Amino acid sequence: MTLFTTDDCVLCEQLKKQFDLSAMEVQVEVLGNNDAGALAHLAWHGLVEKARKALPILVLDDSSALHEFGHIESHLLDRAARYGCSVAARRSGKQAGCESGSCALQ
Amino acid sequence: MGVVMPLNAETAQARTHQVVNEDSTDIALFVRSSQDDMLGWNRQRIVDALLRETFIDRDTAEKISKDIEVTIQAGKVKTITGPLIREMVNAKLLEMGLEEARRMHTRLGVPLYDVDQLLVQHNKENANVPHGPEATNLTLAEGIKKEYALLHVFTPDVADAHLSGDLHLHDLGFIDRPYCSGQSLEYIKKFGLNLPHALSMAKPAKHAEVLLAHMVKFAASLQSHFAGAIGWDAINLFYAPYLEELDDNGVKQLAQMMIYEFSQQAVARGGQAIFSDVNIYWEVPKHFEDVPAIGPGGEYTGKTYREYEKQAQRFAWALFEVYKEGDAAGRPFFFPKPLVHITEKFFKTDGHMDFLHHICEVASVKGNTYFVFDRGDTAKISECCRLSFKLEASDIEDAKQPWKMRYSALQNVTINLPRLAFKAQGDDTKLFGLLTEKIQLAAKAHGQKRKFIERLMSLGKGGPLSLLAMDLDGEPYLKLHKCSFLIGMVGLNELIRVHLGQELHDSDESIKFGLKVIAHMNIVCNKLAESMGMKFVLEQTPAESTAFRFAKLDLAHFNAEAEKVVQGNREKGEVYYSNSTLFNVGAFMSPIARVEKEGLFHPLIEAGSITHIWLGEAQPDKEALATFVINVFKYTQNDQIAFSPEFTACLACGKTSRGLSETCPYCESKNVDGITRITGYFTKISSWNKGKLGELHDRYRNIDRFNN
Repeated sequence: MTLFTTDDCVLCEQLKKQFDLSAMEVQVEVLGNNDAGALAHLAWHGLVEKARKALPILVLDDSSALHEFGHIESHLLDRAARYGCSVAARRSGKQAGCESGSCALQ
Repeated sequence: MGVVMPLNAETAQARTHQVVNEDSTDIALFVRSSQDDMLGWNRQRIVDALLRETFIDRDTAEKISKDIEVTIQAGKVKTITGPLIREMVNAKLLEMGLEEARRMHTRLGVPLYDVDQLLVQHNKENANVPHGPEATNLTLAEGIKKEYALLHVFTPDVADAHLSGDLHLHDLGFIDRPYCSGQSLEYIKKFGLNLPHALSMAKPAKHAEVLLAHMVKFAASLQSHFAGAIGWDAINLFYAPYLEELDDNGVKQLAQMMIYEFSQQAVARGGQAIFSDVNIYWEVPKHFEDVPAIGPGGEYTGKTYREYEKQAQRFAWALFEVYKEGDAAGRPFFFPKPLVHITEKFFKTDGHMDFLHHICEVASVKGNTYFVFDRGDTAKISECCRLSFKLEASDIEDAKQPWKMRYSALQNVTINLPRLAFKAQGDDTKLFGLLTEKIQLAAKAHGQKRKFIERLMSLGKGGPLSLLAMDLDGEPYLKLHKCSFLIGMVGLNELIRVHLGQELHDSDESIKFGLKVIAHMNIVCNKLAESMGMKFVLEQTPAESTAFRFAKLDLAHFNAEAEKVVQGNREKGEVYYSNSTLFNVGAFMSPIARVEKEGLFHPLIEAGSITHIWLGEAQPDKEALATFVINVFKYTQNDQIAFSPEFTACLACGKTSRGLSETCPYCESKNVDGITRITGYFTKISSWNKGKLGELHDRYRNIDRFNN
């Protein structure tokens, strides 16, 4: 399972703080201007165009992908429970950034 | 400057003594100048040329001229020409260690032997150039401009990289032009045919036929100002306001005229047909829906383009009827290439399945149709062999005044990927380091070309690019600030083979590593774009001759490594590298697997990609192809596909048959020529270079892959 994120994305950052992704065996790929491997991985899943619209994207073990933040969060909550991992409290309030599309692959 | 003179000196020594004591203008020598004149010998001309063209001092120039004079008189030549004198001066400069002066004083020219060969033999660098006096003019002019570019436009490191085959600077023979142009018919609908230096100007067309005449002439003018393709956006839509006066026969007649006009324009630059593309939409693209339509006389019709959907569809349908029929001998038309955009809205527009079957039938019968996939909100204009310009927010704003929509790529530079793998010797870090260096060098080459074009453009309407400087809408026709700079690649498949020991189609690991290479190129381009303020974008290079050139050069200079991976037939010299990111053309793959897997690379290559499906003699059902096209749109990332059947044209009986044969099935004549798609367009196989002939032989034909 892979979570594609960027460094400056509020929602991506929230997920990273909320979940112990490493313990949940979720690989995090940070898409930026330096990591060809992450971009290639994204392309392998056929998600470059999707990522240009919005991030984060969660790719499941069956290679299907979740794009809606709510679905991603919900899926990670389930997985955290299965792995017995704790979940940090989610910050409340409207998150800026991702909804405006600014958090996307440039 | 040059000299023709009898020399009657007794000894070189005596002559030397005589020369230094004579006023050189008194010597009975004649110079055969390059200005068609015979001039008296005057040593001063050497001095003048050296002082004018180089930075050496007068004393040195005087000394050189005297030495040359002595040499000439001491020799036993009966005739001497300007070029020879110049080369003698250059040799002297070299002898004196004045290399920079020698470079500046260089004379560009073509050996007699080469000209003789050119006049007789067909130059196959570009299969779209026929053999004839105009073509040889083009080749000779290109030769000089290419030399000029490598000596004077580009720095030695860039020129050397090209000459050694590390990278390829495309269209050096057209150094004084941008690469290609995509535009809107609205420009001539609004402003008429009003070209700089034209003998007459025409007001906006009042009738469809006149508009066509304007379009063809404008395209020919553009062809003489751009190196490559001339593309037209949404052609059926922009013709639509002129079609209301025509019945269906009239629309068909217009379609026929357009296709014949462009396919028979082999009388323009170098006898070369205009490499023309027409972008076609079944629906009215969203960004044109509310745009006021321009009609006859350049006047607004009072309607928006949304209201011209049916007329636009009539024209699109008629164009494909003509494509389906082919030319008088039933051969496919080579130009203009029809690029049909498959969009989300396409599937929501009435009649789309009928139209899809119609264009799929053409794809099967004649192969003309290009299917361009614009998924989501993507909008683009496509041209050349696969190039596309994605419309950005500012372009969508321009769409409100479509005559402003014109796009150009200034140059294309391609990187020889297999050579990087030879040098990296399996070391990833070294491979990516070398790749970065070459992209930086390509970017440097682009900066130098831009500077050169800027210099020409700065001369404005009185300069050589006056057409591109014309500003009928308040901006120069060539919007330099919006130009793209293309960086291409050849031989990803062979790079992978050298580096990993497998080809792209062999394993997922190969594809993943290939994606990493292209992702790296994408990222470096973005970084350079930001730092240099230039729009660097990756394109799958068509590489009609570059794939051949790189393979030949690598066999010559990296033989041990190259002979293991170069494709084709080495004994016949029909060698090549796989084009861009394409998989091995001979790999046994289902068409959908090829489209899907090659398509994984396409989103990383923002200026255009294509997957070819070679049909051979197969003629699949239109329904099967339509289903295939829908699946490609829905389930893959592929940017563009084309189906390529093969034909045999009999030059004896004039009939055209399916598949490639050595004899005509109708009259059994051996006087035949093959026709199929070379890289991004149809042409006669007899005009192909050896590399492409090697590829043709290796292509895997999808004979039984569709349900026919």
